[in-house]
Amino acid sequence: MWDLFVSLFINVLLWIYNLVGQNFGIAIILFTVLIRIVTWPLNAQQMKGAKAMQDLQNDKEWQAIQKKYAKDREKLAQEQMRVYREKGINPFGSCLPTLIQFPIIIALYQSIIRALASTPLDLLKLSRSINPNFLDVANLIPLNSKFLWMNLGQPEPYYILAIVVAVTTYIQSKLTLPPSTNPNDQSAAMGQSMTITMPLMLGWFALTFPSGLAVYFITSNVLGIVQYAAQGKANWSNLLPKSMRKT
Amino acid sequence: MRKKIPLLLLVLLGALLLSACGGAVRGTTWPGLSADETTAYLADLPFVYGVNLANGREAWRFSDPNDNKAQFYAAPVITSDGFVIVGSAASKHTLYALDPRDLLADGDRKVPAVEWTFTGATGPWVASPLVVGDKLFAPNADGNLYIFNLKDGQSQKQPVKVVELGGRLWAQPVTDGERVFVTSLDHSLHAVDVETYAIVWEKDVSAAIPGSPAIGADGMLYVGSLASQLERFDPETGEHNPVLDAEDWIWSTPTLDDGTLYFGDLKGNFYSFNTNDAGLNWSVQPDGAITGNAILQNDHLLLATESGNLYAIGKDGKTLWFQEVGGKIYTTPVVAGDLVLVAPLETDFYLAALDSNGRQVWTFAPEK
Repeated sequence: MWDLFVSLFINVLLWIYNLVGQNFGIAIILFTVLIRIVTWPLNAQQMKGAKAMQDLQNDKEWQAIQKKYAKDREKLAQEQMRVYREKGINPFGSCLPTLIQFPIIIALYQSIIRALASTPLDLLKLSRSINPNFLDVANLIPLNSKFLWMNLGQPEPYYILAIVVAVTTYIQSKLTLPPSTNPNDQSAAMGQSMTITMPLMLGWFALTFPSGLAVYFITSNVLGIVQYAAQGKANWSNLLPKSMRKT
Repeated sequence: MRKKIPLLLLVLLGALLLSACGGAVRGTTWPGLSADETTAYLADLPFVYGVNLANGREAWRFSDPNDNKAQFYAAPVITSDGFVIVGSAASKHTLYALDPRDLLADGDRKVPAVEWTFTGATGPWVASPLVVGDKLFAPNADGNLYIFNLKDGQSQKQPVKVVELGGRLWAQPVTDGERVFVTSLDHSLHAVDVETYAIVWEKDVSAAIPGSPAIGADGMLYVGSLASQLERFDPETGEHNPVLDAEDWIWSTPTLDDGTLYFGDLKGNFYSFNTNDAGLNWSVQPDGAITGNAILQNDHLLLATESGNLYAIGKDGKTLWFQEVGGKIYTTPVVAGDLVLVAPLETDFYLAALDSNGRQVWTFAPEK
């Protein structure tokens, strides 16, 4: 089943590769655009869920039950669930879409490795992943793994991509972080910590894994920023130091 | 708990990506195998093993202490003066000449001394090099054919010539004494003068060529490609034409026996091709894809399939016997004296030795 999923990715990736004049970097970028379009509803749901959770932190009733049942965690949990139900909020609404994107990232990683076929076994597996009625496999192989200064099948040696991945991830995280006026807002604290953790983690991935994956991360981040901005939800003031933000 | 969920997801993603990474995990690709009269040489990712043919026990193992990400899977080449040459397909892409007659102690293990290294290649060593006299012709996946003088006494070897051929060079060259022929995944076959190192000709076919050419009894070159065709080349001019359409990709190098070539394809067909009249004698389909070369033993051919079986096939196409070795076999078997050596993947052992009737004599699995 998983292999079928990866094979689907490989066929689409190579179809785009063939379409754009056998440039694997462009193929990854266009494939990422396609992924963002397909997962648009998930992203929208994630943003909606995150906003609802954020609003809840500033809700008077929510704050009251936090205070009232601070020492009774079981009762607190019951009350929280009641509020979720009454307000129609799914507490995992912002996490599940993220979780669903993980297999996409992993499948893309495996697709890039298999498509670029750096070992004989990879090439053999690639031959079995491609539908010969769909693509002229013999003519396509070997794939051109060069894109700009990079070999997309190898980690980028100059740290440039890792830095760009970290910076764009940071910007995207910051832009999507809603303002919070509640100093005890756990969700906001978590969001703040994620604006540091995520860029470092993805930057490390970009450093360690094939640069094709970093191209995906950067494209995905830039598209995310554009998506938030187009919807008027980008919180640009978050990029400024706290002292310069309007209160 | 909710606070921890994103962090847990990140850790999960990292773990999944790392587990998919492969690194030097056995099974990333198939091993390289060669042998001389006393020892089998198995290049199996993190280590190159020397295995005593008499008892199947480890004689030595090699890994680079200065490069723990090195991976070996090109079949080691043994020079006439006893050195074992093997290249790493990862990390620093070093080519090593090991001296198994000079074993050093590493705890309970033996490690061969390194006679020389070459660190100038930028791509993996997937192909085995070819020894021609005192010269070594080493094709690398960076597209260069590195030519070394084996007698220059250098410990940090420098090539006497680097011939830029382009594409990814994955197969061991062959020579007719005048020229060295090198195939490329970049759809090309190159002829390089063995003395001047000049490129004599370069010709394209319609698909990648993962195997080596065979030189027929008629003096022509025969090579299979991923276009599922057997091509015939004139070694003088490079003029070529397809002579046989196979059912699937031809990965292996054809095996020559007088005027007959034997080779397999990825659909599991095994072909006998007559070079005299350019006609197909017969084809059979044992089971499973064929990536390795057939080997001649006595009056029959030995053939390993992806299904993990070793077949003895007569020159008339009839199966004489077959033996289930296990796992998946992609590596070309090697005949060493009376033994047939097979290196499967996905088995508990790394190497099996069979007698000439296919009965298992020993298996080798390295101690941790």
